[in-house]
Amino acid sequence: MSFIRPLLTIKNAQSQFRLISRSMATEMSFTFASPAQVIYNQARNVKQVDVPSLSGSFGILANHVPTLAVLKPGIVTVTETEGAVKKFFVSSGSVAVNADSSVQVLAEEAFPVEQLDLKAAQEQLAEAQASLSSASSDVAKAEAQVAVETAEAVVRAIQTGV
Amino acid sequence: MLYWRQAGLNYVQFSNIASRIVRRCVQENAKKDAIKREEAHARINKWQDGKMVQTKASN
Repeated sequence: MSFIRPLLTIKNAQSQFRLISRSMATEMSFTFASPAQVIYNQARNVKQVDVPSLSGSFGILANHVPTLAVLKPGIVTVTETEGAVKKFFVSSGSVAVNADSSVQVLAEEAFPVEQLDLKAAQEQLAEAQASLSSASSDVAKAEAQVAVETAEAVVRAIQTGV
Repeated sequence: MLYWRQAGLNYVQFSNIASRIVRRCVQENAKKDAIKREEAHARINKWQDGKMVQTKASN
């Protein structure tokens, strides 16, 4: 009966391989939304997503390691399978990457970069800088600093697309 | 540690400030709707002995 053992081993290896290949999705299921609108709803036509997070910016492809992160003001870049690249400015929110290659980006505000207004952003930046220099308490200073950095990110996004 | 965490702000407060700025940085047509989203309305009705005695609207 000694010939059975190698057969069992092969069988075992096959089933393990199947297990692995089943968990390796070739595409991601991408969801991107804000309270005001749904931009992608479990879309399958997305190849890569780049997100700005508090712990640094990172790109997501199918089979990315499961991750949770919070967003910082910046550009979310969505590369679709056909090659179209779409850029959205997000204020904040969360990103979840799951083991089944589903990805959820939930932003508090999200606008296509083309909808941003340079003049308005520069006004916001000047206003925030003014309130930063007049802030007296630590909390007021931090709040103004957050506003300054957000406005700077918007201006940078319009001028350089980054 | 992030400076705003150090100052005692939490992420929700950070998010509020950031989205408030972003809403004001968009083109005029989108800005109006965006700023409208900031408003929250609540109406408080006080009841006594099965009757409404006071109505207060707040925002």
